[in-house]
Amino acid sequence: MAELWNLLLGGFATAATPINLMWAFLGCAIGTGIGVLPGLGPAVTVAMLLPITAQVEPTASMIFFAGIYYGAMYGGSTTSILLNTPGETGTMVTALEGFKMAKNGRAGAALATSAIGSFVAGTIATVLVTLFSPIVADFAVKLGPPEYFCLMLLAFTTVSAVLGRSTLRGMTALFIGIAMGTVGIDQITGQVRYAAGIPEFLDGVEVVLVAVGLFAVGEAMYTALYEGRSTAQMNRMGTVHMTRAEWRRSWPAWLRGTAIGFPFGAIPAGGSEIPTFLSYATERKLSKMPEEFGTTGAIEGVAGPEAANNAAVTATLVPLLTLGIPTSVTAAILLSALQNYGIQPGPQLFTTSSALVWALIASLYIGNVMLLILNLPLVGLWVKLLEIPRPQLYAGILIFATVGVYGMRQSAFDLFLMYGAGMLGVAMRRFDFPTAPVIVGLILGPLAEAQMRNALSIGEGKWGVFFERPLATGLLACVVAVLVLPRLIRLRKRSAEAAGTPTA
Amino acid sequence: MGAGVIAIALAMAWGAVSIPSQSGYAGVGPNFLPWVVVVGLLLCGAWLVWQAWSGGFRDMDEPSGAAHGDWRAIAWVSAGILANAALITTIGFVLSCALCFVLAVRGLRGSEGKPEGGLRQTAIDAAIGFALSAPVYWMFTKVLNINLPGITGTGWI
Repeated sequence: MAELWNLLLGGFATAATPINLMWAFLGCAIGTGIGVLPGLGPAVTVAMLLPITAQVEPTASMIFFAGIYYGAMYGGSTTSILLNTPGETGTMVTALEGFKMAKNGRAGAALATSAIGSFVAGTIATVLVTLFSPIVADFAVKLGPPEYFCLMLLAFTTVSAVLGRSTLRGMTALFIGIAMGTVGIDQITGQVRYAAGIPEFLDGVEVVLVAVGLFAVGEAMYTALYEGRSTAQMNRMGTVHMTRAEWRRSWPAWLRGTAIGFPFGAIPAGGSEIPTFLSYATERKLSKMPEEFGTTGAIEGVAGPEAANNAAVTATLVPLLTLGIPTSVTAAILLSALQNYGIQPGPQLFTTSSALVWALIASLYIGNVMLLILNLPLVGLWVKLLEIPRPQLYAGILIFATVGVYGMRQSAFDLFLMYGAGMLGVAMRRFDFPTAPVIVGLILGPLAEAQMRNALSIGEGKWGVFFERPLATGLLACVVAVLVLPRLIRLRKRSAEAAGTPTA
Repeated sequence: MGAGVIAIALAMAWGAVSIPSQSGYAGVGPNFLPWVVVVGLLLCGAWLVWQAWSGGFRDMDEPSGAAHGDWRAIAWVSAGILANAALITTIGFVLSCALCFVLAVRGLRGSEGKPEGGLRQTAIDAAIGFALSAPVYWMFTKVLNINLPGITGTGWI
């Protein structure tokens, strides 16, 4: 415990140097600004700024990226409350109740409870990350390739099969992502795959390019194609402040949201969608004023899910840092930022790059405080950003997309690929395919492949290696359970309904 | 959509044939995963086609926005992105991005049902595009020392 404390203090010493504080502040400010803008989430923002990894030292840039990640979360909830255009799946529920509150003139209270709730949840979750990560890392050192492969398989299935509305479309998206991941030089044998004689393909397809293409370019194109005539009305802002009764209703919801969100983020299955919906359902059930839900907007319905979202997002750092498994799009981008520095996250990270990790964790505490200050008194400033007319906004986004993608590899060819990814993004959005599995498949696919082949090498080519180790087998059982259980429940529900109807 | 997925799968299969299988100790070589993906995509594609054929995709959210696409708008936006990709190395980052901005704004404005803009509006758009891309360019080339192409070698434009 004392050792942990020393490490954390060391982290604070690194993170609190003026230059790193500046990076943290810059990250928080940019993140909030971009989070407020409709159509851009934290993942794209980090992706577009990834070229700076070529020049800025790792600790500073990770602090910067973490600030953006967090800032975009705070900013995103502001937009959902005022505009009802959730930028990310995690803020969908916030939009549900928050927008209704804002419509009834309680925008200020909704903004306050979401900002303070994010702060409370973010801080508690950071404390938990501080406490748990080293333990998980110690444990993870003992895992071999078979276990890793099974863990990644579990991450694949949960991200694609459970999070979306349709397992089939999720799986399709995942396979498209893995397919992109196979382009380039095979990690183990050095065999070139799918390069089609184009030198740019030898290095593989950049995650940044796909993310920016799918999300930013895809969004701009989708808006031009389909959303031109749909107008969004904006709610008026009030003063950001909560009454005593609202405080009393908010804080238990924050704590419950955190308790629900953290475990979901921390297991290598990820996603902030399920915990936010769970938290919403819980608050709805426990609330003393259930009639407010869905009508005038209930403050618990904003406070709980917002806290759950932030706790889950913070907790995704646990699998990312200790296992090297990203479970959200932003985590995948952060992973590729680390890879740019030649740092492979995993259990060894806590020993080899201990200074970086602890500075990053310390900067999360600092960032949370900064964001609370940036968001509560200054929220009016950010809201001004929503007044940028849409054509100029999206056209401007294209410029930033170009910087991010071109700056990565200095290749105009990548810009054409980005356009292709944009087209794919439009089609996927139109037909309701989830996009997160593409990114996760792209970055995790090659890693999983390497682990699988290493595992088979250990087992001398026998697939039995996955069944001889208890942990690996257990994880495989989880994979099967994740795929089969929801279906069984649905079937039972249906048969129960069928049995129930004649009597009722 | 399903047909597209099957097409990707077939293209991958065609590519996968050419990957040799130096399996080594593992028993599976570099061609293993591509084949897994091929089979996966084929299955998903077939299933999607079947769903689309028998009454549409299941559990689908209503797509947001208009029922019919504004193809004129998307053509402008596409032209912007592609022109940018084609010209960035020759006329430099700033000019190329400003051009992209002008074209994309035209398309997006058109999609909102407003006039796409005459000469005056286009000049204003170009100025805004320039004012956006130039500082970004300077920040990358001067402050961060990251190379972006310019029409001159000075790093200012």
